[in-house]
Amino acid sequence: MAHKETRSPFDRTQGLGSAREGVGHWRMQRVTALALILLTLWFAASLIARARSDYGAFIQWLDTSLTSVLMVLLLIALFYHMALGLQVVVEDYVHADHIKMPTVVVIHLGCFALAAAGIIATLRIAFGR
Amino acid sequence: MARNDRPLSPDLQIYRPQLTSVLSITHRLTGIALSIGSPLLVCWLIAAAAGPSAYATLHGFLASWLGLLLLLGWTFSLFFHLCNGIRHLFWDAGYGFDLQTIYASGWAVVAISIGLTLSAWIISFGMEG
Amino acid sequence: MIIKSSDQLPSVTLLKRFPVPRNFGVVPSSRIERGKTWPAPAGATRVKKFEIYRYDPDSGKNPCLDTFEIDLDICGPMVLDALIKIKNEIDSTLTFRRSCREGICGSCSMNIDGTNWLACTRFIRDTAQPTTIYPLNHLRVVKDLVPDLTHLYAQYALIEPWLKTTSPDPERERLQSPEDAEKVNGEDGKGPAACILCFSCTSGCPSHWWNGNRFLGPAVLLQAWRWLADSRDEATGERLDNLEDPFRLYRCHTILNCTRTCPKGLNPGKAIASIKKMIAERRS
Repeated sequence: MAHKETRSPFDRTQGLGSAREGVGHWRMQRVTALALILLTLWFAASLIARARSDYGAFIQWLDTSLTSVLMVLLLIALFYHMALGLQVVVEDYVHADHIKMPTVVVIHLGCFALAAAGIIATLRIAFGR
Repeated sequence: MARNDRPLSPDLQIYRPQLTSVLSITHRLTGIALSIGSPLLVCWLIAAAAGPSAYATLHGFLASWLGLLLLLGWTFSLFFHLCNGIRHLFWDAGYGFDLQTIYASGWAVVAISIGLTLSAWIISFGMEG
Repeated sequence: MIIKSSDQLPSVTLLKRFPVPRNFGVVPSSRIERGKTWPAPAGATRVKKFEIYRYDPDSGKNPCLDTFEIDLDICGPMVLDALIKIKNEIDSTLTFRRSCREGICGSCSMNIDGTNWLACTRFIRDTAQPTTIYPLNHLRVVKDLVPDLTHLYAQYALIEPWLKTTSPDPERERLQSPEDAEKVNGEDGKGPAACILCFSCTSGCPSHWWNGNRFLGPAVLLQAWRWLADSRDEATGERLDNLEDPFRLYRCHTILNCTRTCPKGLNPGKAIASIKKMIAERRS
């Protein structure tokens, strides 16, 4: 038996009203994107230049101040952009609130953890392990 | 009122794939692919910080045929997501919304990202060890 | 390969549909079955096949795809002419919306050969063989090609599509410069006010397919922009508050199926980007 809908169509489109927010997420996605354009081009170019290098050459490259700073910035921008992007993907396709909301929280925490791990590894290399 | 016993008309099953929707879903799929690959970046940094033997194990996997295939996929994902991302940023600024520009920029993104992927790999293989 | 306007047809078809199973994600009661075939009359030379989605709410059966063969020598040039001919001469139960037959009322919008357009402005000679005709996508079907648009009209009412002012009414008209009028009417007559509410764009938007209960969709957002851009309207802030929501506005990911499919050549994608820009501007 089909569920009989008693709310009016207009009431259903109202939902819980406008959240009056959303531009923050939109803006940070674009700001991190701009940062990532430059940072990923630098990263890709650096890796290509050292495609056949050995372990020592990589450590030498990661040991410099400029590389450490750029790598940390890359990790921050990358994981922030990733968390925002994956959040939108989950919100698009998962509609059950009891699955959607915890998943979004896990995504944010996971990205934060990965960023922290990467930053600490970078700093360990920079400060002589 | 709303009758849920009525059938739902088909959507994805019959809608024609167009440059608009195909590049958009590719942008999302490459973003997800990059998200899955990002922990590898962190692993790589942790391995570098841990020492030459840990690094060598990771490098062994990356140099295997599976590792190289994944890296090829990730390189293409990176360049496609980067180029299409720039196209998105122009849209966010309000530029390029007439159909001719949408299509021309779309084909340009496809060509440039394939070109960058091939160039990156050819140059990498040509690098001095 | 470069499309210059929405009425331009693609020269090459690589894929007619996305490579998903025919009944991907479809509940059993919505599955489309094989229907009847109505052959062309004897002696017909220019025969065109039309595969048309049929659903009879009184039969209790699933929707099906009927095939009609039409002699083009005794049929008008447009897809709507073929539908009317089928209804008049072959199967009078074929049900579809229509009115002006000249592309201005928006009644006959439907999915023809995989994209949404008006049946009265689509030439039969520009369609595939066979021509596939479905109702507008992801909507409850009342009968045959008639979708239930109640929810879409409710979403339109949500954006309060009327002039909202606080200043007292002037003696005569509220004045508007030609430049300001152009923002609403468009310099080529293809501004947001020219929308005929056919909902081809909204029903072709994948984001509206997945989140149509909360995402307003391109047609409604184009009209929201029409009122935001109107210099005579005095409720801009209130309208933006109503729109700034992760679902109502921000489910738009600039897929741009809307601009590609608009039968009137309008640009909902650009209007939505303008709304997002306005929201970003008011907080910097």
